[in-house]
Amino acid sequence: MGLPAAWRYHWNVDLLGRAALRVNRWLAQRRGDAGWNSQVLAPPLRVSAWNKELIARHYLAGRYANGYRKVAWVTSGAPVELLKALDFYVLYPENHAALCGAGRVVVEIASEAEDAGFSRDLCSYARTDIGTVLSGKTPVGRLPRPDLLMACTNICQTVLYWYRVLAHHFRIPLILIDTPFIYTEATDHAIAYVRRQLEEAVEVAEEVAGKPLRMERLREVGRLSQRASELWMEIMERCRHRPSPISVFDQFIQMAPVVEMRGEPETVDFYAAMLREVDERIARGIGVVKEEKRRLLWDNLPIWYRLRYLAEFLGQHGAAIVASTYTNAWGELARMIDPDRPFESMARTYMHPILNRGTGEKLALMRRMVEEYKLDGVILHSDRSCKPYSIGQIDQRDRLIREVGVPALLLEADHNDPRAFSEEQVATRLSAFLEVLGLA
Amino acid sequence: MKPAVTIPRRSEVVRNHRQAGGAIAAVLPIHYPRALLRAFGFLPVEVWGPPQVDTSYGAAHLQPYVCSVVRNGLSFLRSGGLDVADLLVVPHACDALQGLGSILLDFIRPRQPVLPLYLPRGRRESDLDFLAEEFRAASQRLSEITGRVPSEAELLACIVREEEADRLLAELHRRRTELPMSDLAFYRLVRSREYLPAERFAGLAEEALAQAGDPRADGVPILLSGILPEPMALFEALEEMGGQVVADDLACCGRRLYPPGSDPDPFRRMAQRILNGPPDPTRGSPIEERLAHLLRLAEQSGARGAVFYDVKFCEPELFDLPDLRRELTKAGLPSVAIETDLNDPLSHQTLTRLEAFLEMVEGARGKGQEV
Repeated sequence: MGLPAAWRYHWNVDLLGRAALRVNRWLAQRRGDAGWNSQVLAPPLRVSAWNKELIARHYLAGRYANGYRKVAWVTSGAPVELLKALDFYVLYPENHAALCGAGRVVVEIASEAEDAGFSRDLCSYARTDIGTVLSGKTPVGRLPRPDLLMACTNICQTVLYWYRVLAHHFRIPLILIDTPFIYTEATDHAIAYVRRQLEEAVEVAEEVAGKPLRMERLREVGRLSQRASELWMEIMERCRHRPSPISVFDQFIQMAPVVEMRGEPETVDFYAAMLREVDERIARGIGVVKEEKRRLLWDNLPIWYRLRYLAEFLGQHGAAIVASTYTNAWGELARMIDPDRPFESMARTYMHPILNRGTGEKLALMRRMVEEYKLDGVILHSDRSCKPYSIGQIDQRDRLIREVGVPALLLEADHNDPRAFSEEQVATRLSAFLEVLGLA
Repeated sequence: MKPAVTIPRRSEVVRNHRQAGGAIAAVLPIHYPRALLRAFGFLPVEVWGPPQVDTSYGAAHLQPYVCSVVRNGLSFLRSGGLDVADLLVVPHACDALQGLGSILLDFIRPRQPVLPLYLPRGRRESDLDFLAEEFRAASQRLSEITGRVPSEAELLACIVREEEADRLLAELHRRRTELPMSDLAFYRLVRSREYLPAERFAGLAEEALAQAGDPRADGVPILLSGILPEPMALFEALEEMGGQVVADDLACCGRRLYPPGSDPDPFRRMAQRILNGPPDPTRGSPIEERLAHLLRLAEQSGARGAVFYDVKFCEPELFDLPDLRRELTKAGLPSVAIETDLNDPLSHQTLTRLEAFLEMVEGARGKGQEV
């Protein structure tokens, strides 16, 4: 660690940056403009301004991290607690890509990857990230160069191919945590395999970090991770209330900290504040859709570049999407985390995300959510860029209609690439679906 | 050029095996323990698509952005093409095959038992231990299905038989230009390993190798990479254009030249063989390893260009392509990338691109250009 780098980091991130972003948040809260102002939707959550501040500070810290802190790039399902406990600055390329998606700069950035030969049939998160790596283009100023990569296959195999490209580009170590897919039940040998990889990962991470892992610190990070995930789950469960205080669009926007800042005290504080605000909405009878008539479930990743369009299109007909298998994934495993047995519980927890479980398990989850959240219909986003999430949806949809008795719509799009989104077609399909729901 | 050996047809082999009281395991791509299936009396018959099936059966369950190997495999199953099989084996090679295995188990529930197999994505000691345990678990499941419990000696005998067949397969690859057969005939022979019992394949391989003569140099020597060479008319077309396939890095062929194992434990030995096979993106091989392997293949075979012949939507292949092609070019090996769908005939566009590529390679004489 160089002194100038440390000075630069503290000056820009801890002093100037922190102060400027805090003022910005205060102003945004006063103006009430940290979110969408819509005729059909509730006003934006007040914590949105805090969320913006957290994300901005996270990327600001990244901008000055090289030379001061070791940097790891990780997949969204990676056991980040290990790296946090070793004080890595952790960047999630998927989150960065989503941010590019929401900011509608994906086509420009992904084109850089496509021009270099990466097929448009590849995951649009990966193309966005590789585009940024190749061109330096990003809406957050600059991404730090990684010292270490960690890919966990619990969300897809795509991340492994993608991170091999990154490892080849940066010529740095890639820690692979391979989590065997659970077709029916997690076998003992699969759990033992994941645990062993986690233990072996420590040595590599310690070497890059230049310091040993302290178990007490790992337990502390685990506790903070667990608490943030529990709070996140509680917030989502509040959507069982009718009218729902927030929608999945709020969840998509507010989920960034639980994904990329898990294990940090401020993330816990943030979700505690969000829960209070959500409870306040319930107490005051505020629903996210001003006239909630039907309640829906969303399956798969968001369509980042059309969040507002979808929220308002549905909202003006009285449809609120109040639950999602995707946002649920960041909370449902909180109970599996045991900070006092970090390696064993991490092995189990990180094997069990919904994307690493069978298609029948996802159907069972959707059935449960339909019942618990009292839902009237399901929208399954058939996401060109996410095969593991999307394969099985045709059968899941058929069974939801036939066996559960709820209308279900398969909506073709892509989570990050607007070139795979046809607004006209989507509007036609949504209108027909709303008609089935009795909302047209 | 006449075929140097007579290769029995797949349907005939399957029929004969069943008539002799054997069972059939339909196996999806790519890597799996043949010896384990044989030890339980199953003849593994691989399902790479197949091409040209009615895909509407698969479309009832899979989105259009799922590759045709998986879509056709499911279509073939749903249209009754795999009725002859007593078991379906679905190795985990990618997200699409993972999804197929999962919907077979959860929703489609075919008449036959479905055996998924997870393959680790590294070559670490932990990967070897896991894969050996995965095979042990598969063995238990096969015991439940068949009621048989083969002894360790029986399993080892099957392994040795497969190792001998694979040794001969590697020998065929190594001496391919010495064999008096066209590329098409060569690939029909080596791909018969996809359904022939090891001992029958070994006999054919020995017969072919006995006819080896002086190496032939029939055209512009190229290296073929990708998943599978379908339609097989590709080889005739290449030959007509003046090309000759002198080495391959195909998932169904060259990436499965497994070396013999050495571990005394049969499960570890089977795992060792698969993990020690040539680099393969579906097993997580780093790009550097793949690159070194391709360059080695080109050097040993004299290939002057590489054709990446990939199935559309195949992520493991598509991610590696830009780096591989750029660095092969730097090393003086020009390449062309072609995407195909198993249900498409060889398009005029593909033929034109291949022809232009061969002409360029012939003209460039190893200067190294990307096409």
